[in-house]
Amino acid sequence: MQVNSPTWGEPDNGAGDRLGDEFGAGVIIRRVEHRGELTLDIPVDRLLDVCGFLRDHEGYDLLSDVTAVDYLGYQGEVAGYWGGGSDGRDINHYSHSGKAAVPEAAGPKRFAVSTTLCKVMTVTDGNHRRLRIRVWLDDNESISTLISVYPSADFHEREAFDLMGITFEGHPNLRRILMPDDWGGHPQRKDYPIGGEPVQFSDEV
Amino acid sequence: MAVTEPRIWPTQKVLQPTPSELYPSSDNPDLLEINLGPNHPSTHGVLRVVTTLDGEIVVGLKCEVGYVHTGIEKNIEQKTYWKAIPYVPRMDYLSFFSGETAFCMATEKALELEVPRRAEWIRVLFQELARLHSHLVFLGTGSVDLGGIALLFYCFRARDEVLDLFEMVCGARMHPRYCQVGGVADDLPKGFEAICRKFIPFMRNQLDQYDELIGANPIWLGRTKGVGVLSPEFAMQMGLTGPNLRASGVPYDLRSANGGYGAYRELDYTPVVEQGGDVHARFRVRIEEMRASVDLIEKVLDGMPGGPIISDDRKVVLPPRHELHTSMESLIHHFKLVTEGFTVPAGEVYAPIESARGEFGFHLIADGGPKPWRVRLRSPSLVLLQSLAALCEGVYLADLIAILASIDPVLGDVDR
Amino acid sequence: MALRPDAPHDRPHTVPPTLTPPSGAVVIPPAQVRRSLRSTDLDQVVMTTSLEKIFKMATANSMWPFGFGLACCAMEMIAMISSARYDVARFGSEVVRATPRQSDLMIVSGRVAHKMAEPIRQLYEQMLEPKYVMAMGACSSTGGMFSNYSILQGVDKIVPVDVYVPGCPPRPEAVVEGLMVLQERIKSGIPSASINQETQS
Repeated sequence: MQVNSPTWGEPDNGAGDRLGDEFGAGVIIRRVEHRGELTLDIPVDRLLDVCGFLRDHEGYDLLSDVTAVDYLGYQGEVAGYWGGGSDGRDINHYSHSGKAAVPEAAGPKRFAVSTTLCKVMTVTDGNHRRLRIRVWLDDNESISTLISVYPSADFHEREAFDLMGITFEGHPNLRRILMPDDWGGHPQRKDYPIGGEPVQFSDEV
Repeated sequence: MAVTEPRIWPTQKVLQPTPSELYPSSDNPDLLEINLGPNHPSTHGVLRVVTTLDGEIVVGLKCEVGYVHTGIEKNIEQKTYWKAIPYVPRMDYLSFFSGETAFCMATEKALELEVPRRAEWIRVLFQELARLHSHLVFLGTGSVDLGGIALLFYCFRARDEVLDLFEMVCGARMHPRYCQVGGVADDLPKGFEAICRKFIPFMRNQLDQYDELIGANPIWLGRTKGVGVLSPEFAMQMGLTGPNLRASGVPYDLRSANGGYGAYRELDYTPVVEQGGDVHARFRVRIEEMRASVDLIEKVLDGMPGGPIISDDRKVVLPPRHELHTSMESLIHHFKLVTEGFTVPAGEVYAPIESARGEFGFHLIADGGPKPWRVRLRSPSLVLLQSLAALCEGVYLADLIAILASIDPVLGDVDR
Repeated sequence: MALRPDAPHDRPHTVPPTLTPPSGAVVIPPAQVRRSLRSTDLDQVVMTTSLEKIFKMATANSMWPFGFGLACCAMEMIAMISSARYDVARFGSEVVRATPRQSDLMIVSGRVAHKMAEPIRQLYEQMLEPKYVMAMGACSSTGGMFSNYSILQGVDKIVPVDVYVPGCPPRPEAVVEGLMVLQERIKSGIPSASINQETQS
């Protein structure tokens, strides 16, 4: 039981096994357990089936979060950031600072979309559980929308599209939500500069 | 967990095709499309609501957000974990301490760092004060939206007392940056407990006054009862948590679910639940939660343990100043922590807490370096705004304002 | 100050006869208070000044803020306006209008995103002269801690600002001081920053 966030409950490997029974062994590419949290990597085309099964048969009735992550440069020797180089503070110039250890690859492709599901009303108190379902995508791939299974994914998916550029097939209203409508680019990607203004007089010696 | 009382809820259908937008179904050429916001006295921040009205009745609704999008998540990727802490309370700026606590808890979970008991109790104390602050502002601005301006002054007067307590402990009224990875930044000052104890009966008295003002007020009851009914199944489909869910009878509160997190495990908190599901129930839930918060604060003060207020893991937490004079290792730790920052092992964590708005958590992806790779705030208000369209189908424009006030979104949280 | 019709007009105030001090006590009579001003006391009732000074005094002491709360600073702004502790009513500014056409002072309280920049400019242009802008907080003064793609680095890039109030968020007392600084500016004759704006519609 996680003391820090007890609603994760025990890692729900049983649900993973039952998913495998229902959809075949290939539906779960990988299971990751980190700090008491279970993440199941599944193929992109099985997402709707898996989420439908989890909602109807396993009792995961609340979609908590849909997070898009860009892993470009994750395994670099250094942690890159847009802060400024040794020759002055130019915030649009990529710079470096050391990492303690190079992490192993998080996944096979550049983008990951994680969906966190919870059991709220289908269980009694003390049995709440969470589960994370993750799919991996490349830049030009798209993922089906979860609105038909969990309608609360609406704004989350629009935000993932707006800020990360991930296309959700079947979303009825896939347009920018946080940035202005005519904005170019997807700001939270790792190859998009942080922007802002350089501090005055920082280039002079 | 079932609704405690059998109650016939009106069936609420999720809007098709887009759950968050209401389209007018008739071709009546006299429909009026008006724009509420982004600058509007009652939109709780810069929310733009494009409504289509048939006379006074709302037949179409779209929420446009993003007018205060701050790019906090991308900014945090550029900063070390300590330097990221001041960014997070500015997202949900009403229950600001909850934001700091959630971020610190996510980092501690990734680090597998244990927080001392006294620090957990102090965090609970200030989380409850932050919840009081948020509900006071909610009640004040909510009553202004409904037309009863008097309550605003009462609530803001009490809010000043709450902010005095924050100021006492760290110097800043709002956004204290008091929570630190591993505990809290500094101990409670000497006069704090006395002043906090004086605050408790004051706040109870204030809550009684609010009940007197609006509890039996026929205009208030007429405007809030039966308006904007939210059934629990609909709330689950739309992802709502927090007081809005508890106003529909579902006793789900992260402070007590599976025992609760942090010091709530020892404090044995029972969620506040109402059965109406309408605007009135949502207001009542928050007022009762304020009472429960004051009770929790009293319990915390009564049972506050002694001991350290921050973890003693020198790789993550600064050593005490006096050690720097005598110990070389402390000096080196201090230097490394201040210049480079501590490193967090690679992995993905999500540690939600119960803020005043609902489930509030940071999805933190660490890469083994001193800076987080990706931080995403699971914002309760973003999810709330999705359900606004369905709740406002066929209501009067004034009811739309009441419903928006009652679900209590904070636009800093929505836009981040 | 309305006088009772039967009160004598020029009798100074004295201790009523029932309150006799005990014998031997030193009696200090109260100060002589004039109960009324006679219309012939011209030096008491007439003040000579210039018309500009009157207008400036009126402008400064009745600045109606435009409630423009964007983010966290808005909470402190509301605290300043509706809290008895900070009470902006004593400066004549309690009348917070919801519409720019009836307000004098736009307090930009909070961070300005690029998406919001156009509405801010529109609202500024809808205000009537003389109009003043206060950039409240670090975010509206310079962009604050958010040096990124999304936040305008200072609202003075789109509207001319008269007073900058630093802080994150500034205490309500700081905002009141900003208001007082603005009042001093007005009374000393400095025109509002909008004087440099060419287009008005």
